[in-house]
Amino acid sequence: MSGDVSAQTTAMRLPLWTRAIAWLPEARRRQLGLLLLTAAALAFPLIHDNDADIDSAANAASYATLALGLNIVVGMAGLLDLGYAAFFAIGAYAYGILSSFQLMPPWTPFWEPFAWLHLVEKMNQGGGDLVHFTVSFWLMMPVSALLAAGFGVLFGAPTLRLKGDYLAIVTLGFGEIVPIVVRNWSSLTNGAMGLNGVAAPSLFGTSFGIDATPYYYVAIAMVALLIFISIRLRDSRIGRAWMAIREDEIAAGAMGVDLVRLKLMAFAIGAAFAGMTGTFYVAKLQTATPEMFGFPVSVMILVMVVFGGLGSVWGVVLGAVILQLLQSWFLQDLSGWLHVLGDLVGSPFLQKIDLVPSIELIFGIILVVMMLYRREGLIPATRKVPALSFDQQHAEVRRGGFSALSGIGQEDAPGAPLLEIKGLTVRFGGLVALKSIDLTVPAGSVVAVIGPNGSGKSTMFNVATGLIRAGSGSIRFAGEEILGLAPHEVLKRGLARTFQNIRLFPNLTVLENILVGQHARLRTGPLRAILRLPGTRAEERAATEWAMEIVSVFGNRLLPRVSQTVNSLSYANRRRVEIARALASRPRLLLLDEPTAGMNPAETLELAEQIKSLHKLGLTILLIEHKLDVVTSLADIVVVLDHGEQIAKGTPAEVRQDEEVLRAYLGRNSQAGSAGVV
Amino acid sequence: MTASDLLLQQLINGLSLGAMYALLALGFTLVYGILELINFSHFNVFMIGSFVGLYILQAFGLSGQAVILTGLPLAIALLTAFVGTMLVSGGLGVVIERVCLRPLRTVKGPAAMITTIGVSYILFNVVLLTIGADSKNFPNPLPDVQFHFGSAVLRLREILIWIIATLLMIGLYLFVQKSRMGKAMRATAQDPEAARMMGVEVDQVIIMAFFLGSALAGAGGLIFGLYYNFTSFIIGFNAGLRAFTAAVLGGIGSIPGAMAGGIIIGLIEAMGGQVVSVAWTDVIIFSLLVLVLVFRPAGLFGRLAPTKS
Amino acid sequence: MIITRRFAGQLLAGVAVTATLGRFDLALAAEKAVTVALDLSLTGADAEGAKRVEYGALLAFDEANAAGGAGGYKINVVPMDDGSATAGQYDPAQAATNARKMASDKSVVAALGPQMSGAGKAMSPILSMADLATITPSSTNPDITDPKFAAQYRPAGKAVYFRTVTTDAYQGPNMANYFADVLKTKSIFVLDDSGAYGVGLADAFQGQAEKKGIKVLGRDRLDPKAADYSAILTKVKSLNPDGLYYGGVLQAGVKLLKQAYDILPATMVKGGGDGLYGPEILTAVGFPAAEGWYCSNASPHSMVDPKSQDFIKRYTAKFNVQPDDYAITAYVGAQVIVDAIKRVAATGKPVTRSAVRDAIQGTKLDSLIGSVEFDANGDLVSKVVSIFQVKKDVAFPLEDMSAQLKYIGIAPAT
Repeated sequence: MSGDVSAQTTAMRLPLWTRAIAWLPEARRRQLGLLLLTAAALAFPLIHDNDADIDSAANAASYATLALGLNIVVGMAGLLDLGYAAFFAIGAYAYGILSSFQLMPPWTPFWEPFAWLHLVEKMNQGGGDLVHFTVSFWLMMPVSALLAAGFGVLFGAPTLRLKGDYLAIVTLGFGEIVPIVVRNWSSLTNGAMGLNGVAAPSLFGTSFGIDATPYYYVAIAMVALLIFISIRLRDSRIGRAWMAIREDEIAAGAMGVDLVRLKLMAFAIGAAFAGMTGTFYVAKLQTATPEMFGFPVSVMILVMVVFGGLGSVWGVVLGAVILQLLQSWFLQDLSGWLHVLGDLVGSPFLQKIDLVPSIELIFGIILVVMMLYRREGLIPATRKVPALSFDQQHAEVRRGGFSALSGIGQEDAPGAPLLEIKGLTVRFGGLVALKSIDLTVPAGSVVAVIGPNGSGKSTMFNVATGLIRAGSGSIRFAGEEILGLAPHEVLKRGLARTFQNIRLFPNLTVLENILVGQHARLRTGPLRAILRLPGTRAEERAATEWAMEIVSVFGNRLLPRVSQTVNSLSYANRRRVEIARALASRPRLLLLDEPTAGMNPAETLELAEQIKSLHKLGLTILLIEHKLDVVTSLADIVVVLDHGEQIAKGTPAEVRQDEEVLRAYLGRNSQAGSAGVV
Repeated sequence: MTASDLLLQQLINGLSLGAMYALLALGFTLVYGILELINFSHFNVFMIGSFVGLYILQAFGLSGQAVILTGLPLAIALLTAFVGTMLVSGGLGVVIERVCLRPLRTVKGPAAMITTIGVSYILFNVVLLTIGADSKNFPNPLPDVQFHFGSAVLRLREILIWIIATLLMIGLYLFVQKSRMGKAMRATAQDPEAARMMGVEVDQVIIMAFFLGSALAGAGGLIFGLYYNFTSFIIGFNAGLRAFTAAVLGGIGSIPGAMAGGIIIGLIEAMGGQVVSVAWTDVIIFSLLVLVLVFRPAGLFGRLAPTKS
Repeated sequence: MIITRRFAGQLLAGVAVTATLGRFDLALAAEKAVTVALDLSLTGADAEGAKRVEYGALLAFDEANAAGGAGGYKINVVPMDDGSATAGQYDPAQAATNARKMASDKSVVAALGPQMSGAGKAMSPILSMADLATITPSSTNPDITDPKFAAQYRPAGKAVYFRTVTTDAYQGPNMANYFADVLKTKSIFVLDDSGAYGVGLADAFQGQAEKKGIKVLGRDRLDPKAADYSAILTKVKSLNPDGLYYGGVLQAGVKLLKQAYDILPATMVKGGGDGLYGPEILTAVGFPAAEGWYCSNASPHSMVDPKSQDFIKRYTAKFNVQPDDYAITAYVGAQVIVDAIKRVAATGKPVTRSAVRDAIQGTKLDSLIGSVEFDANGDLVSKVVSIFQVKKDVAFPLEDMSAQLKYIGIAPAT
């Protein structure tokens, strides 16, 4: 549905050449563009018979595959990897060693079955039979991908819990270590001298040899495959989870995303792309030296990704192709052109100028300028959504809540304790944030927690949802201990929350935000996401329908805005999206942390009625709220915290009369009886 | 050489290296403590510092081929070189902050760090393209005074480097602990919002952090030149990376940690080369970095930088 | 999206214009001209040396053109850069692209380069298929011309990778012979600089040294990006070998020599390969640190020859820098190409790359590095390795290579 909205409104702003085909629907136009691009790529070696240019193009294409891989890690999952070339090296050396004369153990019968499989052959250079590894290029492509993915997990596992910038440094360290190991382990790699005699790939018995054209086609096929995989992943549960991590790791965890698993997945898939490219690259060059995989390579791939657009699949391909061709192709031509110009105008400066050595300077300038002035890159990952019409902008206040939301609140029989907190104590260093708190939330009830700022309300939420794992005591949810579980585990069991200071995924659309909320309830893994079989499609469709059903609860507040990024929304709408996102996980208990903060009275009333509707549907709600009229109208039980201790508990009416509460709210010495204020 | 002489000699080597890494590490730590930004341009501010120092010393008529000064002329030349280098590289740091980083201060994600990589590339290549790729001979104005302990040798320039590095570090420590600006810096590192509300000019604090950090890097560059008697466009990366490791090792954001980390890395480099092989020294250092980050992200001595959300 | 498409369109148009115009100036070439391509590492860490090599080649070609061309053919020189920002130095992939560029430009009849063996490995098979000969002034890794790897590096059979330098297979061992036979070194420590050249040279030296009965007390590897080698030098000092051999170029060499002076006893014999034989040993290392170091040169020495004095003068006058060893081998390489073109032209046959390759194979040229002849693999027939020692001579400028690097003699062959 998001596509329809944009398709109608973009037509009028298209440039002339696109307007000529404006009669085609958006999707068809895209297909046409893709077709033309494919045809041009396939025809290039046929119409342009220059081996060197075809070779440059093949190199550019292999950098595009590297950029696509790094884009998954940095662009989508937001993990800054400065040692990406290490995986490139691993793939390159894996093929290089297994298809050259580097390792030649003596022949023993052990090798017979491998010879039968054509993985090795017996050879004799005089002085005994030796093993010559002859593993096929086509076999090594997936094997290198898997191997590099394995190293991705190996490098990633200990480091992924680090914060972003530490991660960058650790990956940089790995990026330095791998070439050093390659250089020093010369029995395996021939060290600094570089590999000799790496076999060229062959197809149907014909070796590729040194002709650039077959390599070009393999490279193009790789780019096409990896673009396909990238897009499929991006538009799936997996891709959404990555982007959620990139946008806000804490919120992603709280919404059911298994951070470690998903980050490792990004690392492994990105590494796999690099491993595969490494194999291709070394097969094309038929040699490899450790210097080919140093820090500058990692940085340049990063430049390509940044230049093209972090997270943008087509952008990084374009970025890689432009920058690679710039240095191997255009800059030399441009220098020559300036020399001609210099001859014409008689300028000795222009006659002598040589732009080629300044390529690194140009790359540095590109990095800085892009970051300062166009962070979204050449082709931004997020599309601009057309402005709303006046009607759409004009919100109709919707009163009276709603009466149906399928599958919410039907699971738990009312009255039984759903959440039981017993003796919960949380210490930060010497500070006691919570002190033996007991709290029971019966199923089907609304419990409100109130208290002055710093009284420990949010800490309680954070402990219950696994964001703080420092508590002692017990938190049981539906009879099961959840204290100390990771946030995504907590959510899986049915606790979903909102945040006091709103933690949405700002560069994702409203719909995507809500779909991330369903992460734990969906099944699609990376393989299914790529294949997108009918089962996966059905799941996605159902997820979108469910998201739209939730959105429609808020009337036309969110409905016209589902394909807008949430950073363009008003404060109140962001609160609504956050609640919608929490509801999307089909919680049994909803934790709302000051849901009406920042809303005007009309909006507050509207939201309170919507919360009440959720309650009526049978959903259990635990609520932190400052607006006491909201608390009074919603809550069955009110718990009052002060300085980490529970100072009162009861119905709203009872609590209003409690002297301790008054003191806590109005000051220690105040005996004023103006209960109405509270 | 006896084993104990050898140990002593490697200790001297390691301490000299460590003093330089520590100066460089302080710049990382200052900026990181306040902005939580890994500043890759710092690598090459160090490199530029060594060139600035070179030109100042050349202006004193010192060329590479062993012109030796003593007494007052030596003191004046060195003092001018240090002050000049620190001012220029400090100024460079401020320019980098103002032009390239301030507009990105509110931008989330890796944008600022990527920018510093870009700035680093620019500095590196400007030097490469204008000054050239050759190693440049660096003047050595110090008299070659040697002290022998068994067969271990301690030279005047090593002592001088220790003294200068120690003075700079003590100066920085006192500045941060005692001065008004230093207190503002510490407050900003703790909680920039609260500091701002308490009337701290956060912009000034950040500029000061860049100035001090870059000035120390420049001093480090000059010390590098004096110690090794050469400089080149390429020196920033390796020293920078090790200094960063030092900062992390000592606990990034912590000033004494950066000093201790620098010394430790210097000693590891010296002892690693002795005991294992210099071919593997980098692997040892980076493995240590990974281990520290994984098992003790707060560093060996430091505090965990307050997480700002 | 929309903006970007338009932007991409404009970019493409701009690129097309640039590319067309860029090729346009090649089309302006005069008739009766041939092209010689250069492949050098002009970007990155090796840039300075690349310029010297380029100047050496340009000097020879300019002189030939000034004398009416090679057999009447004007020589156009197309320099190509195999360095890239992606690699930060020479980039084998770019070298391969350049080789293809040369191969597909039919006017290219010969090439000069590359500097680095890593680039040579990627280029050689492509040049072989194109039957296009190249002359490398500096890549000394023996693998490329080793008949054992012929199927890999010259699939078409004929030698295309010619050298005006001797390979490491001779330079290292001959120096080891010199250490053992002349300097009577009994024990040694061997260092390399992690690069293909340095490691190969040090390996070859070490192998022969062991055969000669020199005790190798240790072997280690310097990181050329690191600044401090005092740790390893202190270790060397503690082992107290008679000699130290360093295989590598001056990037690490400058630092090594300076620090070795401080740490190692002056009595220790210290030497290296042709990687040390460059102006930086005087300008960047200088005295007293460089004093006493031996270095070798994979060619006969003729700097004392009045011919080469004259060369140095012309080179310095034209380019305002001192030539180094590789500038000379590049100059000679270019002379070999000019000579081959001349001989082909003299037969009256068209000057094709195949004819030029065959002519290069049959070269007999008296040059600055002595008589140049190639064997069937493309290596110099003459395996002469010259030895030099840095000895301060205050009568001459301290940065004058011909004065401060004393020619000692020819290293004993194995």
